[in-house]
Amino acid sequence: MSEVYIHASHISKKYDRDLVLKDLNADLHSGEILGFLGPSGAGKTTTIKILTGQLLPTSGEAEVLGIDCRDIDERIYEQIGIVTDESGVYERMSVYDNLKYFARILGVPLTQLDPLLKRIGLYEHRKKPAAKLSKGETQRLILARAILHRPKVLFLDEPTSGLDPSTALEIHRMLRELREEGMAVFLTTHNMEEATKLCDRVALLNEGVIVEHGTPEEICLKYNTVKKYRVQLRDGTKHFLLQSDETARRISAWLLENQIETLHTCEPTLETVFLEVTGRELQ
Amino acid sequence: MKKTLTVRPVRIRKLLAIIDVKGRALFSKNFIIMPVFSLGFTFLMQLLYARISGGMAAMNAYALAMGMLMNISMTGIYCTAASLAEEKEKHTLRTLMTSSVNGLEFFLGSLIPVVLMSEAVNVLCVFIARISMTPAQWAAYLGVTFAVSVIAAVVGMILGIFAKNQISASTITTPAILVFMMIPMFTGFSDTLKTIGMFLFTGIAFDAVANIHNGLPALDAQGILVLAAELVLSAVLFLVLYRRNGFER
Repeated sequence: MSEVYIHASHISKKYDRDLVLKDLNADLHSGEILGFLGPSGAGKTTTIKILTGQLLPTSGEAEVLGIDCRDIDERIYEQIGIVTDESGVYERMSVYDNLKYFARILGVPLTQLDPLLKRIGLYEHRKKPAAKLSKGETQRLILARAILHRPKVLFLDEPTSGLDPSTALEIHRMLRELREEGMAVFLTTHNMEEATKLCDRVALLNEGVIVEHGTPEEICLKYNTVKKYRVQLRDGTKHFLLQSDETARRISAWLLENQIETLHTCEPTLETVFLEVTGRELQ
Repeated sequence: MKKTLTVRPVRIRKLLAIIDVKGRALFSKNFIIMPVFSLGFTFLMQLLYARISGGMAAMNAYALAMGMLMNISMTGIYCTAASLAEEKEKHTLRTLMTSSVNGLEFFLGSLIPVVLMSEAVNVLCVFIARISMTPAQWAAYLGVTFAVSVIAAVVGMILGIFAKNQISASTITTPAILVFMMIPMFTGFSDTLKTIGMFLFTGIAFDAVANIHNGLPALDAQGILVLAAELVLSAVLFLVLYRRNGFER
């Protein structure tokens, strides 16, 4: 039975006169990855800042590990990990010393550092000053520091933004492992592919409002109103066909004649759903 | 960053970790220049005054007072402010504060290495200035310079709240350093400066060195009162600003 680690109810946030979050509701359970998908300025970072006690909501209630987000202090910080673009590293210190510093702060045995460095692929670079790491390596170091104390909840704000595909895939693999170990992950991204592949549930956020939520499959199927098929024949011709009796007959005929090279259904992606719902593109 | 208004307990484990890292950072080129400069300044002043005065011991005490003053102003104020500003600039402050370090732990962890460094330099200045002291004089000297170093470091933390990065820390601390350093140095030239100096912690420390050298009590009642008042005032001012702004304005 999974536990509810985050419960946000009717959260709103106003900066001066700008309402940047409107009546936001969300739950995050143990062993789950929840993605907040939206373009820049949608309110993703604000949501993370509220849930991690760095900003106060204007109205609404949110609990993280049973504690009101207005009362978050070091007792909660000992149980959560945070990776944002405002997460810094001590550039003069080595990779190992960066982790050692936070291990001492968080009461983590130093014997756990080498296995962690190996897990995130930074063991070879452990003596390197953090200033000399590439962007991908720095991001992995920040992630390692965030999971060092095996937090119950991990907050990730655009964790793979600007990273090369192989590093991004490596981080995705690690996040899946952490989910398997029972960690709850709250992820924000504007990368549709990342959200689809990684998240158990996603919330599409636009101008501070959740416009759609559910599993990626549920959302895509919900908007799969116009059923389409993409067929490529052996002679190289491509056909986009709407579902109909005529289409069924044509596809059957091609199948019988062994003419079909590839046959795909054309469900909407999260990106096309977002475009349909908001009229905006994610990127 | 939300500030906590309640006083949280200080965990020794965390405090020691912060002191360790902050202490090592003080030896980086950005910061070590200040204590080294103070030591060099003391050495030069001693050399200069020894030649001018023909080796008068009183002039050695004057060289010590100048070096100590420079150290307290530059190491105490600048290093604390710049260290806080660097944490903000590199986004490590936010990381620390969201990694279960509370405000008091960070405050003490930042203050203690600077005060220790400042005191170590103050002791070295005594040897560089070729001053010999009795145990009682040492106790008085260490007591006064310790109190003054603490006040200087708290002033540095206050200024650090307003500094976004190390460059702005330099800009913000320079006028304060000039006031706290230059006024006591030039008290001999103006009665007004002398009067002002009597109410500055650096001015009191400057006079204390002369008193100790002359075998007098380091501080009179007014000096003790001013130091105590400035210690309390700087701590209260820091708390008010911290509650309003956190470490980041």
